[in-house]
Amino acid sequence: MGNVTLGRYIPLDSPVHRLDPRSKILAMIMMLVAIFFPSGWIGYAILFAVVSFMIILSKLSFGFIWKSMKPMLVMLLFLLVINILVIHTGPVLATIGPVTIYTDAIMQTLYIVVRLLLMIMITTCVTATTKPLDMTLGIEDLLQPFEKIGVPSHEIAMLISIALRFIPDLIDETNRIIKAQASRGVDLKEGKIMERIMAILSLIVPLFVSAFQRAEDLANAMEARGYQPGERRTRYKVLKFKTGDYVLLACSAALVVCMIWLAYFR
Amino acid sequence: MPIKFEHVSHTYGEGTPFCYNALNDVNLELKEGKFTAIIGQTGSGKSTLIQHLNALLLPTAGTVYVLDRKITAGHQPKKLKSLRQDVGLVFQFPEYQLFEETVLKDVAFGPKNFGASEEEANQKARAALRKTGLDAEYEERSPLELSGGQKRRVAIAGILAMDPKILVLDEPTAGLDPQGAAKMMELFDSLNREGKTVLMVTHDMEQVFRYCDEVVVLENGKQKIQMDVKSFFKDPELCRQLHILPPALIRMKEMLEKKGFEFDEDIMDLRSFSKEVARQVKKNG
Repeated sequence: MGNVTLGRYIPLDSPVHRLDPRSKILAMIMMLVAIFFPSGWIGYAILFAVVSFMIILSKLSFGFIWKSMKPMLVMLLFLLVINILVIHTGPVLATIGPVTIYTDAIMQTLYIVVRLLLMIMITTCVTATTKPLDMTLGIEDLLQPFEKIGVPSHEIAMLISIALRFIPDLIDETNRIIKAQASRGVDLKEGKIMERIMAILSLIVPLFVSAFQRAEDLANAMEARGYQPGERRTRYKVLKFKTGDYVLLACSAALVVCMIWLAYFR
Repeated sequence: MPIKFEHVSHTYGEGTPFCYNALNDVNLELKEGKFTAIIGQTGSGKSTLIQHLNALLLPTAGTVYVLDRKITAGHQPKKLKSLRQDVGLVFQFPEYQLFEETVLKDVAFGPKNFGASEEEANQKARAALRKTGLDAEYEERSPLELSGGQKRRVAIAGILAMDPKILVLDEPTAGLDPQGAAKMMELFDSLNREGKTVLMVTHDMEQVFRYCDEVVVLENGKQKIQMDVKSFFKDPELCRQLHILPPALIRMKEMLEKKGFEFDEDIMDLRSFSKEVARQVKKNG
């Protein structure tokens, strides 16, 4: 449970870590949009260069990115198989038994691989350099304008930060219950199907009970301190745009324009 | 020799930046049928130590002997299941492990896992519930609707129903009211008299003083002391060195000795202590 890399914060000190979470989120959205224009291989090369530069700047290792990519491999393989079976255009590349492989199938898969890789690089670059709490602050601020049309920005941010805060607790709790049930002879790895269902049940029920208990305790503790969701409140940490943030936003916007030009006006 | 630790160390997350040495070269020998207290401050490695007894944790160095089994660092032990049946481990706040629909089913869960038939398991469960002081009317209730103390009893019954030879308890009375805690301790005491080897992690020196035979003190993952309880508390200075507050009786004795009373070293229970005080008060007017 301890080696999940996707979405994990890596505490380093780098120019990217110091950027405002709002600008990082906005830049992330722009870049993700940029990926989806059919800008061809030149476009992807440019995006790849920019994103790689950001990763180097953030002092993250590419091995870390690779680790986040790993869980996707099975899905990509599945995609390749589907594409080979479904796409029947372009020149024939090879024929293996009853299956004919067309170049378009391979190209289509490659496009998806590159897009996915870029997406993971971009999102990892943001989540790994932004503390979860800063991230929720950023989300709250960015959602603020939508409050007029009834989007509860503060509540959403609070929801996210509470969810994030309880992840390590729940992992600890799970490990504790696994051990307690193992002491009662539960074996999660072996046994007949019924036994294993029982084993998982003996884990899930206590976990739910304690999660609800925690939720109730937290709700009471917040209410006891006078928490009112809709109320305006000041913040301990005030977000402020700096030069780097403007540079990042300008570059991201330029990138989107560049991708649109490559895709439609060339 | 039911339990023996030979140069046992345990390091969490070896080879990572979060590497933490929880146990450091621990050597212990515990005899059969004893009631042993394991004491030490928070983070001294008590919980890590007891989890080695039923191989939930394996030593990263050294060897643990439990009953007739040998668990050596680097070897995946076999027959884990029978070891877990022989060593009943009750975690801190064990009420969190309850999950079945009825109390009886939950208590019978352990024996069933170890291969008992439905009937046999229910029988064992009933016997274990009686021992913990819960009568038949509780059997069909949901364990989740009981009070905290009753839940704790059910959880402990769940371990007792496995009929372990060694009972290991991690702060079994934490969070219980004084009467509930006393009842609980009486239960462990009677189990110990029936011949079970009992190990208990605790912070309560009064409990150690009153019920335990031996005491093991851990500090920063190192074993500082293993000796019998009476001789340990005879030396209040030693206790203080290890940041342990001696039991009230011992402190009382110390204070009175400063006022000129004289006590025999072997006076270790309240009754003979108060008799002795009364005698000396009368004598000296």
